[in-house]
Amino acid sequence: MHPNSPEAVHKRLPLLLAFIILFAVVLFFRLWYLQVARGAYYQELAENNRIRPVKLRPPRGIIYDRKGRPMVENELTFDISIVPEDAPDLDETVQKLAPLLDMRTEAIQRLIDEMEPVRGKYEPVKIREEAPWSEVAMVEARQEDLPGVIVEPEHRRHYPYGGMASHQFGYIGKVTQTQKKADQADTGLLVGQSGLEKTYDKLLRGVAGRHMLQVNAAGRKVKDLGIDEPKLGTDLFLTLDLDVQRAAEEGLGERNGAVVAMDPNNGEVIALVSHPTYDPNLFPRGISPRDWVRLSNDPSHPLYNRAVQSVYPPGSTFKVVVSIAGLETGIIDPDDQVTCKGFLMSGRRPFRCWKKGGHGTLSFHRGLVESCDVYFYTMGDRIGFDRVAEYARNLGMGEITGIPIADEKKGLVPTAAWKREKVREPWYPADNFMNAIGQGFMLVSPIQNCQLMSAVANGGTFYRPQLLKRSRNRETGAEKVYPPVKSRTFTMKPEVLDLVRKALVGVTTEPGGTAHGAATKLWTVAGKTGTAQVIAQKVPGQKLSEETQDHAWFIAYAPAEQPRIAVAVVVEHGGHGGAAAAPVARKVIEEYLRNAGTQTAH
Amino acid sequence: MLERRLLTNVPWSMVALVLGIALFGLSAVYSATYTPTGPSSLFTKQLIWVGLGIIVMFMALIPDYHTVSRYAYVLYALSVLFLVLVAIIGRTGMGAQRWLPLGPFAFQPSEFAKLSLVLALARYFAEDPRQGGYTLRDLGIPAAMVAVPLVLVLKQPDLGTALMLLFTSTLVVILAGIRLRSIVSIAVIGAMVASFVFLVPPVRHKIWTSLKPYQQKRIKAFLDPASDPLGSGYHATQAKIAVGSGQTTGKGFRKGTQSQMAFLPERHTDFIFAVIAEERGFLGASLLIVIYVVFLLTGVEAAKNAKDKIGALMAGGIVSMLSLYVCINVGMAAGILPVVGVPLPLVSYGGTSIITTFLAIGLLLNIRSRRFMLFY
Repeated sequence: MHPNSPEAVHKRLPLLLAFIILFAVVLFFRLWYLQVARGAYYQELAENNRIRPVKLRPPRGIIYDRKGRPMVENELTFDISIVPEDAPDLDETVQKLAPLLDMRTEAIQRLIDEMEPVRGKYEPVKIREEAPWSEVAMVEARQEDLPGVIVEPEHRRHYPYGGMASHQFGYIGKVTQTQKKADQADTGLLVGQSGLEKTYDKLLRGVAGRHMLQVNAAGRKVKDLGIDEPKLGTDLFLTLDLDVQRAAEEGLGERNGAVVAMDPNNGEVIALVSHPTYDPNLFPRGISPRDWVRLSNDPSHPLYNRAVQSVYPPGSTFKVVVSIAGLETGIIDPDDQVTCKGFLMSGRRPFRCWKKGGHGTLSFHRGLVESCDVYFYTMGDRIGFDRVAEYARNLGMGEITGIPIADEKKGLVPTAAWKREKVREPWYPADNFMNAIGQGFMLVSPIQNCQLMSAVANGGTFYRPQLLKRSRNRETGAEKVYPPVKSRTFTMKPEVLDLVRKALVGVTTEPGGTAHGAATKLWTVAGKTGTAQVIAQKVPGQKLSEETQDHAWFIAYAPAEQPRIAVAVVVEHGGHGGAAAAPVARKVIEEYLRNAGTQTAH
Repeated sequence: MLERRLLTNVPWSMVALVLGIALFGLSAVYSATYTPTGPSSLFTKQLIWVGLGIIVMFMALIPDYHTVSRYAYVLYALSVLFLVLVAIIGRTGMGAQRWLPLGPFAFQPSEFAKLSLVLALARYFAEDPRQGGYTLRDLGIPAAMVAVPLVLVLKQPDLGTALMLLFTSTLVVILAGIRLRSIVSIAVIGAMVASFVFLVPPVRHKIWTSLKPYQQKRIKAFLDPASDPLGSGYHATQAKIAVGSGQTTGKGFRKGTQSQMAFLPERHTDFIFAVIAEERGFLGASLLIVIYVVFLLTGVEAAKNAKDKIGALMAGGIVSMLSLYVCINVGMAAGILPVVGVPLPLVSYGGTSIITTFLAIGLLLNIRSRRFMLFY
């Protein structure tokens, strides 16, 4: 072979040929895969790359009372935030921002780092919430200097009356991880965490809108793609009456307890009070750990909604139930007489009447008016507690009322079977005695007791207690009325109702009645006191300390002839029901009846 | 007389293919560099480079390629000299020292070094033929010839060009007729070195830490681009999105969102293919590949028809070099090869690359034109 012959090279050229063709085929298939097979997928990625949605959060709906007075509102505030994606040099931005806000750079960096795992792309990190004007002005003036820093207007939830009805309104807070999943809510959204804010969160919250921006790789806006307008939150008009609510809270004063007032004709809740209260204004921007510890460790449990979540022995208010049970079954004859000598002997054990000297001889009417324990020991024993329990259940005890705020307590209606199972003891005659005066195992919540009065007043109809009267769409102005929901009816004989109602009127009007403190000049009040013992037996002559004082109850409706309001008041450790609780009920009744039907300007 | 004969023998079909690719490239550069105020000056520059390149291509037809081959070592020495100059006074850009200032322009000697190395190797193997092919021992001098520019380029550091030098010379050595047994030995030794590097932790560590952070990032990003799509994997991820989102027919000229809105980095240089794929779609991108393949196969044909070993080797070397450029650049944009800075011949923006490529193609055409001539 000639040394300069190209033969050797020619032999190898097919290798080069093969390399070119092979690689071309590989590239061809790769391109086919990326562009044709997976094209739509990459198309979507490209779209997401350049379109940045900026969330537009609508203000929450406003909550008004039944007369259209705002009880929960929004205030316009400004937050100073950082969008890390928009800061070309985040460290530099943080360093420049820190002195303006009088914060340490590490503190700002920590806020950013904490948000990182939960934050969506381009979602701002709040650095200073509710910034003072001076800071907002400074940041606005140095926009050019602070790339990535923005001032966000926010509608901050505001409760102008502070603690008033705080348990009913509830509070809002940052959406939790579980809520986020269930709701598809986005990070940082404030949602109702308790009370009405939680129950009607979906209505109040509205629907977030989006401002679509086309951006380039540096995150700078290139084009405005339009706004997907947010849907404003719906306004709520409650059944609560601001004046009555205030009267009830003032009536209760600094004492712990609860007041429930509702319209017996439709179940509308007019006032719902639990004391002590808390300030829901602490929550919207995230409650400080110190405030949270203080609230949750407070021995008086201010976060507890006593009106629906606390259950107490009903004391003598339970005599209303025993009366209905006895009269309905015919076991109590209204004319049967019982003699009260201040106690009743059962075997060798004495059961005392609250009146040491005794009531003398009395029949049903006087027995209930004067709340004679001996009379009810006697009748309770005759009826038998299992039968009383059946009536208690029919009158709504041991069952939630269905008021639409969370975690209502059921209370307890004991039976012999229940005692055998839970206490592992048989039902003694003494249990008949004690439970007949509401001192045994019976436990009822204030709202259950209010419902009892409502049923007595309206003749046995049970409504689901209602807090929402109507809602108004803020954009269309369209209103939706929430009609009363009748949950069930318990029919009682008219003559039974008549006897019980007369006795309840006697309680506030007749000589020997236990609640003259509830009597008003304009309207006849029908009611029943209760004094629930916290400890079983007092040592005579010794004054009880605060924690061992009896709980004071008063339940009532008015006007007796044509009831328009039913009330239940419980004052924890308040002492005697007639003295401690009845005046609170009177204030509520007077306030409501005086102004009911009047309208305040919307 | 000679001129006329030459003119009739010029493979005009190849010239047409080259011009087609160049036009494809110009439109892509126009689109990729378009500014809100109109076409960028980069496009005008590129237009000038392509015009100059076409002149250079035709000028490369005039001298006999044997004459060119006679100057191969001189060219090689010049390019090494330029590389040394770069190391001393070079202009720094993007973390590497790659450019020599040349009036208003910047000259990138490493681009030129690739072509001169091919020519020098072709001459070496043509002058020193071995019966039955080259053994490993015969490769000492060529290995040294490769090593000098390779080390200089690695120093810059420019991993992409260094790899190109290595791969191109390997292809030239294979074409020159190295024994198959030697290829196997090189492969075995290569595999052993590679496993030593990868499997012995201290060595791996030493080599890894000797890389620049951006090189480490690029390697990491290739191995797992999803690990950090906004950081080091950004190039690869954005390029893949650009290519894929072009779908079958493309988004249209200057309508590519990835390229027009700057999501795609280095879009007028190393990632120009992604711009083409995004705006022209699968059909446009495949058309470009088909034109390249037809051109390269014609180049192989030219090597086959060369009358002597030096012609065949020069043509084969040039075709090998161009093929590698195309494959690696497109493979990188399509996400099947790591991101290394390699231009797409005749398409990517860059004066030295354009001129060198046209010069190389001119030489290829030169060899093709002279296939019927006798020299002995």
